[in-house]
Amino acid sequence: MKPGMMRLLVTWGLLILLGGTELAASYLPLARCWRPLVMIPGVLMVLVVSIGFMEVKKGPVIVRAFAVAAMFWLFVLLALGSADPLTRTNYYVPDIHVK
Amino acid sequence: MSSTVAHDFQYESASYQAQTAVAGMWLFLATEVLFFGGMILTWIYSRHWNQLGFDAGVRQTDLSIGTLNTFVLVTSSFVYALGLLFIREGNIRQLIRCCVVTLVLGLIFLALKFGVEWPEDFAHHLFPSAPNFKISGPSEGGARLFFIFYFIGTALHGVHMVVGIGLLLWVIRRARRGEFSPSYHTPVTVVGLYWSFVDIVWLTLYPLIYLIGRGR
Repeated sequence: MKPGMMRLLVTWGLLILLGGTELAASYLPLARCWRPLVMIPGVLMVLVVSIGFMEVKKGPVIVRAFAVAAMFWLFVLLALGSADPLTRTNYYVPDIHVK
Repeated sequence: MSSTVAHDFQYESASYQAQTAVAGMWLFLATEVLFFGGMILTWIYSRHWNQLGFDAGVRQTDLSIGTLNTFVLVTSSFVYALGLLFIREGNIRQLIRCCVVTLVLGLIFLALKFGVEWPEDFAHHLFPSAPNFKISGPSEGGARLFFIFYFIGTALHGVHMVVGIGLLLWVIRRARRGEFSPSYHTPVTVVGLYWSFVDIVWLTLYPLIYLIGRGR
């Protein structure tokens, strides 16, 4: 078997394995706020696709720069956007209309 | 076959033109990351305030179709990458076969999503504005919000799939005319990047709409 074909097969197998792990992890009895951790294998799958199928490491330097920039912009967007809901403390306010 | 490949006047060589095209597609994909990033942010924000409703919504989605579609899409990216390997060796016949298999897998994905799953969702009164929405009680509002995210997210991904299928047809047409060779196959590479990106978008959507909140 050609080395390139072997690499693609390993990539595909790894994706199936990670997908199965993610599916199994979704049934773990996690607290509601920790359930997004189920996505960790999914994030790894994204990395595997970009390295195995999209060959991000083989492209010119500018390709890696665009890929890193995309991840950086996404991080800034998600971090700044979710800063408020993830850090806000809600205090109980009694209903003043109740007698 | 000529050993030199023609290139447009503004490039100093064919390889420079090819690198520019590939870099251009990556830059486009970077903008797409931000496009879908806004959607992911909406999910984070909405789920944070409506965890009960989002978990109730996730449990109503069809996990078997979602998982099967994930397998179909991952396999389609694998098959297309094989086609790229073949054209690098000059095997245009195998490239066409791989593109056709990728195309069929893409159509299977769309048929399962929009021909089976969506009609099921409508039949089960899961459309967010349905007056007789299936989920009632304290989680109803959050569940309706979840299904707004579900329908818009899968529709946007579906539009990208349709564009990808159009691009695959274009590659097949050009390959059948013998326009690609080991020294020139930039369109095959660029379309492969787009197709794998559509795969990545689905790999992100899959846990958000099928998995997170399914376990109790």
